[in-house]
Amino acid sequence: MSLAVEAVGVRKHYTGKDGDVEAVRGVDLAIPPGQVFGFLGPNGAGKSTMVRMLTTLMTLTAGTARVAGVDVETDPHGVRRKIGVALQEAGLDPRQTGRELLVLQARLFGLSRSDATVRAHELLELVELTDAADRRIKGYSGGMKRRLDLASALVNQPEVLFLDEPTTGLDPASRVTVWDEVRRINERGTTVFLTTQYLEEADQLCDRMAIIDGGLIVCDGSPADLKAALQARTGSATEPTLDEVFMDATGRTRARSAGDVQEV
Amino acid sequence: MKESFVLGRRAIREALRTPDALIPTIFIPLFFLVVNVGQTARIFPSGDTPFLAGQNYAAFQLPASLLLSASFGSAALYLVEEIEGGYFDKLRATPIARMAIIAGRLYAELVKAVAIAAVMVLIALPFGIRIDSGILGFVVLVVLVALWAVVFSGFMQLIAIKTRSAAATQGASLVFFPLLFLTPNFVPRNLLTRPMEIAATLNPVSYIMEAVRSLILDGFDWPVLGLGFLVVTVAGGP
Repeated sequence: MSLAVEAVGVRKHYTGKDGDVEAVRGVDLAIPPGQVFGFLGPNGAGKSTMVRMLTTLMTLTAGTARVAGVDVETDPHGVRRKIGVALQEAGLDPRQTGRELLVLQARLFGLSRSDATVRAHELLELVELTDAADRRIKGYSGGMKRRLDLASALVNQPEVLFLDEPTTGLDPASRVTVWDEVRRINERGTTVFLTTQYLEEADQLCDRMAIIDGGLIVCDGSPADLKAALQARTGSATEPTLDEVFMDATGRTRARSAGDVQEV
Repeated sequence: MKESFVLGRRAIREALRTPDALIPTIFIPLFFLVVNVGQTARIFPSGDTPFLAGQNYAAFQLPASLLLSASFGSAALYLVEEIEGGYFDKLRATPIARMAIIAGRLYAELVKAVAIAAVMVLIALPFGIRIDSGILGFVVLVVLVALWAVVFSGFMQLIAIKTRSAAATQGASLVFFPLLFLTPNFVPRNLLTRPMEIAATLNPVSYIMEAVRSLILDGFDWPVLGLGFLVVTVAGGP
């Protein structure tokens, strides 16, 4: 079975207002199917850029990436058919109702009108939005929008689901609801690739995680392994938190690349 | 193709749910029609003004108002909002052609423009305007105006996609000033001052205006009509 996500030497350079920016500087990933994979890093570390490249929304400057066995550069439509995408800030159309949005999304993936209606109904139940289904999205709360966005990423029963900061800005109760959805989706066999700024989220959800800083992966492994490794290295008596792992990993690279400080 | 229609129906829903955005599209052109005709009709009495072909001056002015209402392109602002809000990326991540997203919006523009042009002509009829070319001419007129609306909206959406900025898109809509006013909008081209006549002759919209006008005043004037349709086809090409 092929890997759910496979990236080799992926780079992204932009020419922005302040000159060249190297957002991603050679990232390798190998995520087997069925996992919840957490992609962590400070703001501007290259998380979203990586997600946008893997979801065919952005071209690669160098390297290759395959998602669900399909090359993102040579067959973007093939990738799109096999993935679901919920990006930062839940981009939704405020003038449609939740149901209309899901039916539209399903039809864009080639479902017939009646199949799309059925699929929308199932998904509204899955994310518990049946009561609000026929109200315009404009009036939805932040948590409802996230859940709808999540549902819309599932219309095509994706093999790999990309969630870019799925709980940023949510209250704690809504966050737990989204976590439950993610677990449920993963249990049904979907690989989940999620970025987050919340270490607790990674601890709760992820089988494996990688920390990216300055466009490079600085450590990866299961949350437990990473904590254990740090404990072994520092000789601390108590188990470190994932926060400490994160600080250690991102702080260490800054020290190491002090001559090569990069504003991203 | 199917995706464009699905997206088009959504854009029509969007327009129906924001009727306040449609009001200026109808109201401003009608306002100009009433004011322009009210202020100048005495200069152009229908009996002694040959270019009116026996109709009143409002009949001569109506095409300018129709084209004005077809040149708002406000739907491009929804596109900018969609790009800024992130929904555009959601659509881009689906396995449809990028062009289908624009084509859907243009299809909605066509439907909207047909409805608006028809409503405006129907509002104008009680004021003594006749469509000399009859019912069929009315249909051709509405289609021609709507096609211009699609062309203009296509231009605006292109700006929206390229600039991703509401300010730039709104700014670009100002091209409707030269396009709409450097035309024979008050008198026929041969009565314009020389510089204006040259400008109007170079302006493709003049030919659409003349084609619409010929349907109202002169029945089916095939060469003028043909030129009008040629212009929208050529302009719509890219």
